Amino acid sequence: MREKETTLYLGPQHPGVTGNMMVKLKVAGDTVVKAETHVGYLHRAFEKLMEQRTWMQSFPIVCRICVPEPDPNEENLARAIEEIEGREVPERAKYIRVMILELSRLAAYMLWMGGQAGTAGLYTVPQWSVGDRDYIIDLFEELTGGRIYHMYIWAGGVRRDLPEGFADKVLRTMDYLESRLPEYDKLFFENAIFQKRAKGVGIIDKDKALEWGVVGPPLRGCGIKHDVRIDEPYEVYDKLDFVVPTHEGGDVWSRAMVRRQEMEQSISIIRQVIDKMPAGEYYNKVPNPLNWYVPEGDAYVKTESARGEFGYYAVSDGGLKPRRVHVRGPAYVHGVSLLEKILVGANISDVAFIMNSLGVCPPEIER
Amino acid sequence: MKTQNINIEKEIATEIQNTFHTAEVNIKRNKRIEVKLRNDLIPPFLSYAKNYLTFNHLAHFSCVDWIEQNEFELVYIIYSYEKGVIVLAKTRIDREKAEFVTTRHLWYQAETYERELHEMFGINFKGNDRLNEFILEDWEGIPPYRRDFDTVKYATDNFYTRPGREDAKDVRENVTKINKEEIPEFAKEYSVRSLK
Amino acid sequence: MALNLKGIISPYNALKQAGRKPHTVQYPYKKKEAADRYRGFHFNDIQECIGCGTCSTICQNHAIDMIEIEGLEVGPGDSGLRPRVDNGRCCWCALCVDSCPTGSLSLTKDYLYVSEDPNSFLLIPGIDNPDGQNRKSWISNGNSLLDYKRIPMRELEGQERVKSFAEVVLGYNEEEARTEAARCLGCGICTENCPVHMHIPEYINAIARGDDKMAVKIIYDNNPLGETCGKVCTRRCEEICAFTKRGEPIAIRWLKRYATETVENEKMIEEIVNPTILPPNGHSVAIIGAGPGGLTAAYYLAMRGFNVMVYEAKEHAGGMIMYGIPKYRLPLDSLDKQIEYLQSIGVEIKFNTKVGKDISFDEIRQHHEAVYIGIGFEVPYKLGITGEDASGSIQAINFLREINREKHIEIGDKVVVIGGGNVAIDAARVSRRLGAEVTILYRRRVEDMPADWEEIEGAEDEGVIIHPQAIPLEIITDENNKVKAIKYANAEMIPDPKGGRPRPKIIEGDEHILEVTTVIGAIGQEADYSFLPDDIKEKLEINRGRIVVNEDRQTSIPWLFAGGDIANRRADAIGAIADGFNAVKGIEKFILKEDK
Repeated sequence: MREKETTLYLGPQHPGVTGNMMVKLKVAGDTVVKAETHVGYLHRAFEKLMEQRTWMQSFPIVCRICVPEPDPNEENLARAIEEIEGREVPERAKYIRVMILELSRLAAYMLWMGGQAGTAGLYTVPQWSVGDRDYIIDLFEELTGGRIYHMYIWAGGVRRDLPEGFADKVLRTMDYLESRLPEYDKLFFENAIFQKRAKGVGIIDKDKALEWGVVGPPLRGCGIKHDVRIDEPYEVYDKLDFVVPTHEGGDVWSRAMVRRQEMEQSISIIRQVIDKMPAGEYYNKVPNPLNWYVPEGDAYVKTESARGEFGYYAVSDGGLKPRRVHVRGPAYVHGVSLLEKILVGANISDVAFIMNSLGVCPPEIER
Repeated sequence: MKTQNINIEKEIATEIQNTFHTAEVNIKRNKRIEVKLRNDLIPPFLSYAKNYLTFNHLAHFSCVDWIEQNEFELVYIIYSYEKGVIVLAKTRIDREKAEFVTTRHLWYQAETYERELHEMFGINFKGNDRLNEFILEDWEGIPPYRRDFDTVKYATDNFYTRPGREDAKDVRENVTKINKEEIPEFAKEYSVRSLK
Repeated sequence: MALNLKGIISPYNALKQAGRKPHTVQYPYKKKEAADRYRGFHFNDIQECIGCGTCSTICQNHAIDMIEIEGLEVGPGDSGLRPRVDNGRCCWCALCVDSCPTGSLSLTKDYLYVSEDPNSFLLIPGIDNPDGQNRKSWISNGNSLLDYKRIPMRELEGQERVKSFAEVVLGYNEEEARTEAARCLGCGICTENCPVHMHIPEYINAIARGDDKMAVKIIYDNNPLGETCGKVCTRRCEEICAFTKRGEPIAIRWLKRYATETVENEKMIEEIVNPTILPPNGHSVAIIGAGPGGLTAAYYLAMRGFNVMVYEAKEHAGGMIMYGIPKYRLPLDSLDKQIEYLQSIGVEIKFNTKVGKDISFDEIRQHHEAVYIGIGFEVPYKLGITGEDASGSIQAINFLREINREKHIEIGDKVVVIGGGNVAIDAARVSRRLGAEVTILYRRRVEDMPADWEEIEGAEDEGVIIHPQAIPLEIITDENNKVKAIKYANAEMIPDPKGGRPRPKIIEGDEHILEVTTVIGAIGQEADYSFLPDDIKEKLEINRGRIVVNEDRQTSIPWLFAGGDIANRRADAIGAIADGFNAVKGIEKFILKEDK
């Protein structure tokens, strides 16, 4: 007998995402027949607000587009402006930016790990990972003055130089986090419950992945080796030595393995950055922010965020304020068209689990 | 600055130019090619770029409101993983009769972008049957991302400001009062304080 | 499916954590101290702050208001307002700190505040949290968003300058002007120090936007001699620019110069300024002296429909800016352009008409309803030492006038100038251009010299020797009563017990003789009121050589107005312009009220 279809509203508050987003599910029994993403709970029209602010005034806005990982936003906007204007960035600033980006990637993965385990009912992992993430946030606090919203990278470089003794602190934190990874392996990645839940669930079709616009760990979890840091190296990634891990399978498990391996890579990148960071200027001063006319032009820049290709399309009409800044968050695809597709046939209890593995971040969708 | 090797970009640009004679092809920098097209050529161009030039990743689809020219500029940002190059395909459409065709048949996720642009700019994408409510809720009036939508007015009409800040003064005005200075009407818009 | 035994057992490894020291909670409870750069609540050093309001302008959250503070006493260079932060809106991005020109604003380590009263979220930094002084964390020390260095002005080399009377300052080119103008924060505090209160932030903003014509139009709103001021103004405005506390002020004078110099001739000025000239109102005003003050009054009166007649004793208009300022500072064609524009809109000037000689004061009074006097200080003070009347002992003011008339004056090859004001420096630099070796003798120290520091530096670059703390005693002459040498004594500075500036005192016996061919005196001037009839002189209130005027530049005789050097102590062009500008309001009030 065919089961009766029921409509189920999952969210807007639920463990699958950082933020608020609702998924309207049509279910038959425990199985999802149709899924529809509903966003709008976090829409603050940032892009429109930026059109009414000067370029420098836009920086405190963009970091709010992603709470777990605000830095790619700042870096992208800075790089877009620099590309339009042709502004040089001091070498030291580029290294500091890479350090920030990798620290934020680590922090985002820590948070993801907590969420992923939480959605599988493993509640010890979030206790640990959120606590360990705090060590990174402490670093941010010392470097940028802010714990969550750093407002640190801006056009021309970064706002402040590293405080004294900061590099050593970063290295000590990296040593600590590295020593924790095996413990996470035992607690989480080797955990039979997680493996049982993750393997074969939420599969992305490898043949379709590129065309569907899948990026980041979900793409590499399909065994496709693409990473903006390698494909189009920005800042100083071309001077650093790292590998891009991939994993076959396209399921939640492969995505988790990709992220797990990337954490090691990030730690290694941060160590290299600190080792290679040159002395010198960290900021190529822009004109008075109240009177800064950025020349006419447009630029599309992208960063590999913890969730994949993060892009900014910025247009200047030669005025004081942006004509248009349009943000492309990876969740735009992962959270709507892709999610709606791969949720079909999934078990209700796996919905939040799958969503988390895609790294859906609703403010990226609606901004 | 590194010396830029743009051989592959030149190759792609030439190929596009040879296929689409009316296109304005411009290599912006390495890995960035700008292609300006007549709007009826966009669907064939995108299909050609995707299927023959391996630009199979729709990275972004954006719209810029050029209200002064009464036009919307649609920007398709497509990427070829194989060639490592981004093409920004641009076209202009009429702002009053904002209509275009969908590209959902080429990229499934274009549907989402089109939903956003439909909601925020009021552009109707023919062939996309899912242009329903996306981010906004019960929105009435002009689409909010159009340049002529006044966010400040919207905010003052719909929300109240907290009391207790009415005593705020404008510095320039205060100084003119001390000076007994009269700023002529034509000069007033040059007071930087009008930034707000 | 095989049983994943490892996967079941290994999570139990976590149990060993139970014995470890917790990371997060400390016993006994210790409050977490924020990092050294933490961006917490604001603190503002109220004494350092000048109320420029840049914090309020840059705040993209609209969280900062500028408000009046009760009991706050401020001097010039302060708007009298202070920032108040709405902590309900603030996001602690610290853009306000990084764009604070004085560096008074900072963020502190304090981040916890709990209250049920929403009004208490309005914080006046520095007043509501005076202890924040010791909790400062995010400060803009050397990390400011602002540019504290001005675009340097290009000048002729010192060696090149002395070869001719070519203009020394070359002026900004377009790019330099735009960059310099973009530095301006638009607070307008500078206008407090400008006697005529020019709309400085507005015209600088117009230049930053690339609209030079609008800049010129704004300048002409209350200054018809903008180009002159752009070249030679004493620019007191720059002294209180918001940048001066930590850096170099905006080059207000050079920007004004740039804007006005883009206009090539008087016709273009008229096109750009496009003045509204009211139809004749039938009233008539006389102006005595075509100096900057008189011309300004004449210009704005003419625009308001008055019939204006300017009486000028000499053959050219401009007064001191024509005859006192050397041409390497203010070229003749620049001045001609400005004066021709004034004439083109209806200012009539009667040249070579000295009041009291060519026309009597009473006659002027009969023909006009009001009279404005702007005759300036033309009579030099005497040095008061022996030998002063010898040939070769001249007065700077006369010397400069004759040189500006392109007359030849024989000064020989060794000149000594006595004095430390701008006139002394001008005379010295002109003498250099005539090929002489020049020494300046000044009673006090170099830092006491009333001349502009730029002028002093310029003179030194050109090879002028400045001999401070030197008091002339006697001019030694030869048998033909011609200057041969000057005897002077060195002086030491005696501090004033009352706290005034130190006074020079001759060091007994430290006397020297300097062989010279010419002695130029430049120790000040006074006015010549001899043209005034006795009855007027009697009624006119004169205090220490200056006519006493009210805010409208009205003297003790209601129909008589006065301005410039004879009425203010500034002794500069802009002071005279301000007098002329304000006298127009006074004259208008006086005549039109009489009308009613």
